[in-house]
Order: sequence, then structure tokens, then C-alpha cells
Amino acid sequence: MKRLPIATIVLLFAARIASAQSLDDLNIQIHGYATQGFLYTTQNNIFTTNSSDGSPAWTEAVVNLTSQPSEKLRIAVQARYFLLGNYGNAITLDYAMADYKVNDRFGIRFGKVKTPSGLFNETSDIDPAYLWSLLPQSIYPITSRNSFLSHYGGVAYGTLTLPPKIGKLEYRAWGGERSISSDDGYFLAEREQGAVLPNGTATAIAGAALHWKTPLPGFMIGASINHDALGTDAATETIPGYGTFNGTVTTSAAYEPQFFAVYEKTRLTLAGEYTRSPTTAVLQIPYLPSQVVTVDYRSWYGMASYKVTPKLTAGVYDSQIFNRQTALGPARFSKDWVLSTRYDFNQFLYAKAEQHFIDGTAQDFDTDLNPGGLKPSTKLTILKVGVSF
Amino acid sequence: MKLALTIFLFAAAATLLAHPAAAQLIIANPSVKASDVSKADVRDIFSGAASNLKDGSHVTPILLKAGTTNDAFLDLYIGKSDAAFRASWRSLVFSGQATMPRSFESEAAVVEYVAHTPGAIAYIAKTTPHEGVKILAGK
Repeated sequence: MKRLPIATIVLLFAARIASAQSLDDLNIQIHGYATQGFLYTTQNNIFTTNSSDGSPAWTEAVVNLTSQPSEKLRIAVQARYFLLGNYGNAITLDYAMADYKVNDRFGIRFGKVKTPSGLFNETSDIDPAYLWSLLPQSIYPITSRNSFLSHYGGVAYGTLTLPPKIGKLEYRAWGGERSISSDDGYFLAEREQGAVLPNGTATAIAGAALHWKTPLPGFMIGASINHDALGTDAATETIPGYGTFNGTVTTSAAYEPQFFAVYEKTRLTLAGEYTRSPTTAVLQIPYLPSQVVTVDYRSWYGMASYKVTPKLTAGVYDSQIFNRQTALGPARFSKDWVLSTRYDFNQFLYAKAEQHFIDGTAQDFDTDLNPGGLKPSTKLTILKVGVSF
Repeated sequence: MKLALTIFLFAAAATLLAHPAAAQLIIANPSVKASDVSKADVRDIFSGAASNLKDGSHVTPILLKAGTTNDAFLDLYIGKSDAAFRASWRSLVFSGQATMPRSFESEAAVVEYVAHTPGAIAYIAKTTPHEGVKILAGK
């Protein structure tokens, strides 16, 4: 119950100051936002919340400090309080980095930095920036935010100007280490089967992205690829009636390509994205037979939004994920049709309402909070209020 | 009848051919080397996509907080409402890609700041006094 007072205090505090505090003398800016969501589902509980009874267990608050000591150097730190069901309830670091931009053609960030893969990975946790209450979960799962949105290392970036008839090419290249904590949503299925990575995992990553801003104004086509080295980590397995055993889990290296496009014209925005994530994990416990888990996720979405008035935006998307290695049935896929709307009361305060029609159980649902078993279809209603400054 | 039709056609043609950019001036600190700027350059600079003009000059965008000049500028050059424009800047700030541009309540304050800040670039109404700043012609 601590979360409600926390959210209330943060919202009131943010609304009270309701404008960016720019410390001009120090060339420091402070910005932030806070959101409070309410979830209601028919059938299954979602995101480890008691959503079938209606749940307010979705709170976020972010504070950002940015300093620009010189024309080319920028330093930024961003902290986040995140709570969603049993996930989070802690303050974490989104990023802490220095950015040295030589010119538009080349710049570099280093420290803990956002990983610029796909269309929305850099911005997927920035609720004030978009219409949706939830981005397509097939590619941007909210239960893995802390793990997949940033890494320790660096990003090189820039924009190459092409002949006017060809457009512009933006590039990003990144490398470093990514940590996935043991309680991340990424390991939910394993945890529910009794296998736990007590220390999580840390893996070397590298990747690159190209965004081609075509000569057609507002039309961008892009692709990115991320290589996850993965490897071997300590693991425990609990077998009911026999106890807990120590062992290891070895995960094969994964290449995740993403292809995406977006078209923006005045009030209309269209976007789509496709990705594939194949990998194999082998759980080895001494004196027990090895368990091999292979997944091959194919995920995509298509979305459209329209700014009905300067304050009202509405949209729709279809998000789907399939695990080609799972037997036929609702656990093999998740298809999510979404209707969404957002109303901006002013430049600081906004509200969102969203309706999901989810078919399949391949993601988002846990079995602990659905002890009677998962139903194949669920309707999810989200209400959210947010304030930013 | 013919006269009325002729007047109407002239008026319609004048409306269609009038350069809407004429309502605003793009101003910069005199340290900026460039003397002209394209609409695409203005859009990139003020949307955070670029920080250099084509001649290599580093520029820093300065915004108005509200008002008709601000709305007309955003409509003409950026193609976004004020709320959507500021949301896109917040997106850049919270994703660690940019610093929020300084905003001023009045055009006089914008002119004053641009005049004394190397690299600053901004927009004002054509009728606003603009001593001490450089006018960048449209390309």
C-alpha cells in the first residue's frame, strides 16, 4: 500500500512545480514525469497484478538531470521508480552518461546508455512521449524494461546527408554489457517451473541500426540488429518434494534483427515493426538429465494514430507474437488488438484510456496469480493519468 | 459579374501564392556564419534532429513559450501543434538524446537572448524589433 501515497506525493509535487526547473547559472535542467495506471481484466490476471479485481499497481516516477557544460558535451542522469504488480517497486537508474557530439555526423555516448535498437527502444519507457498506455508488448515487453532498454558501454551515432533526392541516413552502433536481473520478466516462465538464476545474467552485446529518412517527408525506413553473447550462469532448480539443487544454465548467443518503418504526416502517424528472437537454453543440474528449452519468437505490429484535435489523439494497433517452438494452442501465441486515446489537458497533464483484446497466452500472464489456469482470451482495460514537467 | 470574378480569382491566387513564411523571421546571433537557411534546416534544428547548419555553424534553438507567432511557426516549419512539439522534445530529453531548448515568454526576451548568445537561433514575428541579431533569409 506504500505505492499509493508515493504516487500521490509525486503527482502533487510534480503538479505543484509544473514547469521545468532550469538552473541557468549551472546550466543544469531538471525534468520529470509521473504516471499512475489502473488495470482491469476479464479472465486472466495480467502483469502479476490482481487485475481481474481492478488493480492500481502500476506507478512510475522519473527524474532527469541534464547539464551541458560546453557546446559539444552533455551529461545526463535519469532515475526511475517503477512498480507494476510484483515487478520493480524500486528506484533504478535509466541511464547515467556523457554525450560528446562532434557534429551532426558523429557523436558518442558512454556510461549507462539507452540501447537504440528498433523503432521505440530508446523511448519505450517515456510515457509522456506517445499516445499508447502500453506499447506493443510483442516487441517492447514492459516487464523487461530495466534489462533491455539500456546497457553499460557506449553508443556512436550520427547523420549522413545524402544527395537531396535520396534523403538522410542516421546510424547508431553500440556495444557493452547488459544485465538481466533474476526477477526480470524475461525469466518468468523459468521461475514458474522452479528454475532460478539467483544472480541474473550479464552478457556482452553489440549492435547497429540504420534509419533512412527517405525523400518523402515524414517517411523513415530502418533496420537494426543486436547480438547478445549470453553464456553460462549459475542456476538453481526446485523440485517439489526433493529440494533445491544448484547447477548452471547455458544460453546460446542470439541475433535479433528488427525491421521497421514509420510515416508521419501532420495529424496521421503509421508505423510497423518486425523482429525475430531465437535462442536455446540448457539447464544442467548434476545427476539430473539436462533440460533443453528452445524458443523462436516472431513478433510484429502495425499501428495507426490520428490527432483528432490539438488535445485529443486516438489510435489502433495490432501486435502479435508467436513462439514457433511451442505446440499448437493458446500458449504458442499472443494477438493483441488495441484501441487507444489520449487527452492532453495542458502541456503538463494528460490522461489515457486503452482497450486491449488479447487472444493467446504466450506472454504477460503468470500462473501464480492465475491458479485456476490461463483462459485463452482476455480483455484488458487501462486508465492512466500522467504529469510531466 | 466579370469584375467580381476577376477580383475573386486574383484574391485566390494571391492567397495561394503568398509565402506563409513571411509572417516570421528566423533570427540568429551575429556569430552564426550562415546568411540563409532552408525550411528543412529550420525543421531539423528546431526538432532536435540537427545542431549544425549546412556551412558547419553550430546553432542552439531558442523557443517561445506560447502565442500566435509560436503556433504559426510550428504549423509552418514543424507541422505539429505546440503540445505535440513539446512532447517530442520531452521524448528526446528523457531518452538522453538532447537538452530542452530555452523558452521565453516574449519575443523581446528572445531577441535579447539571441543577440547576446553565440550560436543562438530563434523565430519572431516580422513586426518585432530585432536590433542586434542577424536575419537568416529563407532558401
